[in-house]
Amino acid sequence: MMWNLLKDTWLLFGRLFPLPTRPGLRAVGNPDLSSPVLVTGNFELTVRKVIATLRRERIDAWLLVAPTRGINVWCAAGGGHFTTDTVVSILRTSGIEERVDHRHLILPQLAANGVNVWKLKERSGWRPRFGPVDIRHLAAYLASGRKQTERAQRRVRFPPADRLVMGTNLGFNSALLLAIPLGVASIWLPGLWWRTLPLLFALSVLASLLAFWLPGKPGVQKGVALGVLVAAPFVFLSQTAMAMAPWTTVGWTAWILLLATYTGYDLPSWSPLWRQEVKELVFGVKQTRIEVVAERCIGCHLCDIVCPAGVFAFDEASHKYAVADLDACLACGACIENCPTDAIDNNFRGGICSCPTCALIDGARALTGKRTSRPAPAIELVPIDTECRGEGCACEEEDAVSRPS
Amino acid sequence: MSTLVYMKLLEQTPEKYDRGMRLLTLGRIDRIKEEIANRWIEPGQAVLEIGCGTGRLSARMAARGARVVAIDVSEPMLALARVTAPGVELHHMTAVEIGDLGAERFDRIVATLSLSELSEAEVNHVVRAAASLLRPGGRLVVADEVPAARWWGRPLAALVRVPLAALTFLLTQNTTHALKGLAARLEAAGLHLVHREDHLLGTLALVVAEKR
Repeated sequence: MMWNLLKDTWLLFGRLFPLPTRPGLRAVGNPDLSSPVLVTGNFELTVRKVIATLRRERIDAWLLVAPTRGINVWCAAGGGHFTTDTVVSILRTSGIEERVDHRHLILPQLAANGVNVWKLKERSGWRPRFGPVDIRHLAAYLASGRKQTERAQRRVRFPPADRLVMGTNLGFNSALLLAIPLGVASIWLPGLWWRTLPLLFALSVLASLLAFWLPGKPGVQKGVALGVLVAAPFVFLSQTAMAMAPWTTVGWTAWILLLATYTGYDLPSWSPLWRQEVKELVFGVKQTRIEVVAERCIGCHLCDIVCPAGVFAFDEASHKYAVADLDACLACGACIENCPTDAIDNNFRGGICSCPTCALIDGARALTGKRTSRPAPAIELVPIDTECRGEGCACEEEDAVSRPS
Repeated sequence: MSTLVYMKLLEQTPEKYDRGMRLLTLGRIDRIKEEIANRWIEPGQAVLEIGCGTGRLSARMAARGARVVAIDVSEPMLALARVTAPGVELHHMTAVEIGDLGAERFDRIVATLSLSELSEAEVNHVVRAAASLLRPGGRLVVADEVPAARWWGRPLAALVRVPLAALTFLLTQNTTHALKGLAARLEAAGLHLVHREDHLLGTLALVVAEKR
């Protein structure tokens, strides 16, 4: 109990650093030959949460904890540590093949930017499906007979509680990075260090909490808006209640604006592929510009199934997908990774995950190699419907997603 | 800015890998690879390399006249290996899949600084798979980072290792992990130790085990 409390406290600040737990097979409840098989990463918090949720919902299941270097599902997948290879490995080494008499595998949806279900199926003989984004929706997903997850449950929402944790972690990272240079600067500017670090931390939390409400494009623009929002009451208070010298007020105001701009610039770094470039972060020019090449699209729905932001729209007439809401795109790359005909183009020029966890080990290389164009496979694909049509629906067929015609 | 700093700092490339490993092992890994190719590989032998990386050892073994099959999990590494080791049969697969390559078909299976990249369950699986891939009399040759053998060696090794690993990471964004209980794992898979040599205060070991 005490130990978990300690871990949770650390995770409030150091979530971007790996916290591994032993990979392998966990039996949750009393699973038998027909129980569902789930996969997750070996980030300690994730495993604990998944097991607790399954127990609460009284779901008997086999949980495969894949060796993702102690990194959470989404980051590990984006950084090249939760890939098709990782899942193949845990299927082979965990002994799960002897524990169940079926080959249905439920993957976390947010692993889709690293795991390619087509390749996984081909290499493992298992039939992988992406489950809901949030483990809390698993019960509903299983109850529906492992049909495609409800549209709403395939979206990443960033609720306020999550944004608060993102903010504390962002603040911790920035403070960690700036602690030494600020410490050195404090030799000439005494007091700068201990005043700036809490300020930076507070600005990070605010930037994260207010991310959706601040005006301007994500990046520097939202940062400046935050700076104005915080500096205005500061100027007022410093000249009234605090009776600060005018030049001191000017100095601190400039400092607040600078730090807020920096925080805004730092905030989008949560996406593994968000480009940390001036053009994007200052002018809001989106450099991740995905498009569906209509000639290659076979309407298999997988881009829509894996997209956590609802970017794609299906055109019934042509039976093809198109990008409907580019602004919503989180640049995670899941659609590109899983499109079976390589119909989704992007002008990624090879990005790396900028969060220290993902990048720490060797995320960069895996990612840059992965995002380049792949040759289209020489198989004909039978499209499936996103929503199950009930009796006789293609989704009931064993090989619905990759049956050669 | 923190993101930009991290991004630049952590960018890894296959080209930097060899340089990183050379620095981290103070040049020993090159000598060990040389020794593997010259002393433990005979011309005409069927050899499998697990985790060939940039393909330098595979190329050297092929130059010695061995028929080399090499696997790696990283596509960018393999792209480089295709250039470095043109006569080598290269496969993109994880180490745990080597069992798919057949049974009793190799005289030598070589793994340098690759088993330590795996989880414990994976290492055990790979060692067992390697044992069944070897012909009787065949040998598994492993060179990897291990925890220092003697208790007094550990703080001493850490003293050298920590700054060296930090420097290597800063310069090349590469590092290694120690592989625990290597000899016991080999024995458990039915392989018999025939040779062991320690380098760098016992933190880098070359182990040769035979299938009888």
